[in-house]
Amino acid sequence: MKRRIRVTCLLIGFFLFAFVAPGFTGQSRAPRDKEEARDFKIFTDRVQEYVKMQKDMEASLPTLKPTKDVEQIVEHQRALAGKIADARRAARQGDIFTHEVAERFRKIIRSEFHGAEGRLARQTIRQDDPSKVIARLHVNDVFPEGIPLTTTPPTLLLKLPELPLELAYRFVGRDLTLIDIQARLIVDLIPNVIP
Amino acid sequence: MSHMRRSAFVSCVALAAIGLSLCAQELTLPLKPDSVRFAVIGDMGTGEKPQYEVAEQMIVARQKFPFEFVVALGDNLYGGSAPSDYESKFEQPYKLLLDAGVNFYAVLGNHDSPNERFYKPFNMNGQKYYTYKKGNVRFFALDSNYMNPQQLSWLETELQNSGSDWKICYFHHPLYSSGAFHGSSIELRHMLEPLFVKYGVQVVLAGHDHVYERVKPQKGIYYFTEGASGSLRKGNLRKKDLTEAGYDQDRSFMLVEIAGDELYFQTISRKGLTIDSGVIRRVVKISGAASWPALRSGHGDLPDRTAVNAIAF
Repeated sequence: MKRRIRVTCLLIGFFLFAFVAPGFTGQSRAPRDKEEARDFKIFTDRVQEYVKMQKDMEASLPTLKPTKDVEQIVEHQRALAGKIADARRAARQGDIFTHEVAERFRKIIRSEFHGAEGRLARQTIRQDDPSKVIARLHVNDVFPEGIPLTTTPPTLLLKLPELPLELAYRFVGRDLTLIDIQARLIVDLIPNVIP
Repeated sequence: MSHMRRSAFVSCVALAAIGLSLCAQELTLPLKPDSVRFAVIGDMGTGEKPQYEVAEQMIVARQKFPFEFVVALGDNLYGGSAPSDYESKFEQPYKLLLDAGVNFYAVLGNHDSPNERFYKPFNMNGQKYYTYKKGNVRFFALDSNYMNPQQLSWLETELQNSGSDWKICYFHHPLYSSGAFHGSSIELRHMLEPLFVKYGVQVVLAGHDHVYERVKPQKGIYYFTEGASGSLRKGNLRKKDLTEAGYDQDRSFMLVEIAGDELYFQTISRKGLTIDSGVIRRVVKISGAASWPALRSGHGDLPDRTAVNAIAF
C-alpha cells in the first residue's frame, strides 16, 4: 500500500516537472485569463523561434569563450548581428510583438506606470535614457556603441512574460524594444508604449 | 613597437608616482594573517588622467596592503567597447596590478556593453551575474541593469546555499544613495532588500552615483557607494539622515580586509588621503540563521567628512 502511494507521488512529481514546469518558466507570472494566456503563448512561441534561429546563426561562427582578445569579442558581435539581420531581412515591426501581443503589453505597462509604483518605474527608466542622444531605433538596427542602456524596472519584469537569456526588454524613450543582448540587435519594438 | 614604448612610458610614470606617493598614504588596515584583502572601484572607465591617478594610488596602497583582487562596480568602460577602449580605460591604468596577478571581478553598469562579460580579465566567465568565494567570504556579483525573476531566483538559491560567514553583494545601482544626480534605486531595493535581510547579507557595495558614501546601517546591512574611481560629480552628495560618511570632492577607492568576524575598510582619495575608515563586526545570532554586523569608528584625514558610530548589540 505504502509502495503504491510512493509510486503515485513519484508519478505526480514527474508529470508536474515534465509538463507544468517548462510552461511556467516561460513567464514571470501566471496569465490573468485565457486571452492573456493565448497572447503570451503567441509571444513566447515567436521568441523561441527567434532564439532557435539565433543559435543556428551563432553555431556557424567560431565559439565565443571568455577571452583577453577584445577583437574576438567585437568581431563575434558584429558577425552575429550581420548574420541575424541578413536572415531576418524581411522582418518587420510587429512580427514578434503582434498587434494582440502589443495591446496586451501596452495594458500591462500602462497600469504599471499609472499605478502606485508608476513614479518609481518612471524614475528608473529616466536615468540615462538613450533617446536623449539617439534617434528612434528600428527592427534590425544595432544598438549604438557607447550609449548607456536604460535600467528596466524590475517590478515590470515580474509582470511581463519571462525572456530567455539571449533577449531583454529595454526602453528607449517611450518605446519598448526587444533586444538581442549578444548581437545588440533590435529584434522588435512597440512604439510609444509609455503613457 | 609604439604600443610597447607607450606601455613602458606609462609604467615608468606610474612607478615614479608610486615613489612620490608612498609617504603620503597612511594605511590603517591591520594586515592580519590569512585575511581576505581586496580593493573596490566603481565608475572608473573614463580613460582620463584622474582614473590613472586613482590607479596609481591603488598601486601605492598595494605596496603596504597587498590586496589579492579588485571588485569593480560597473561602468568599467565609458563611451564604447572597442579594443582601444579596453586598452586605454582598463589595461593601461591597471597594468601594474594586472601584471602582478591581481584579479578583477566586475559587474555591468548602465554604460557597459553586456559583451564585456566575455572579457577574461573581468572574470565574469560569460555570465551577467555570478558568485565566488574567498576565504570565509561569499561574493554575489549582480546585474542591476536587468533584475529579472530568473536572477532573483538564482540569487535566493545561492544565498540560501551559501555557508560562508560573510555575504557581500555588489552591483551597479545603489539601493541607498544621497547622490543628487541619481539617488536611491528604490524599485531595486524593494526586490533585493528582503532577500538580503532574510539571508543575512552584511555588506552591499554599489556605484552609479559618482561620489563616495557610507550609508547608516539599514535593517542591519552596511551599504557603501563607491562610484568615484574615475568619474566624479563634485559637490553632488546631498548629505542627509542616510549618510554616515561621504566624500564628493575628489575621486576615491576602497580597501577592505576581512579577518574572522571583522571587516576593516579604508577609503582613499586620488591624493592619497584617508577619507573614511572603520571596522564592521559580525555578530552571530544564537539561532544561526543570520549574522548581523556592528560598526565601530570611522576616522580619517578629513574629520569633518567622517563619523564615529558604535552600535551596541
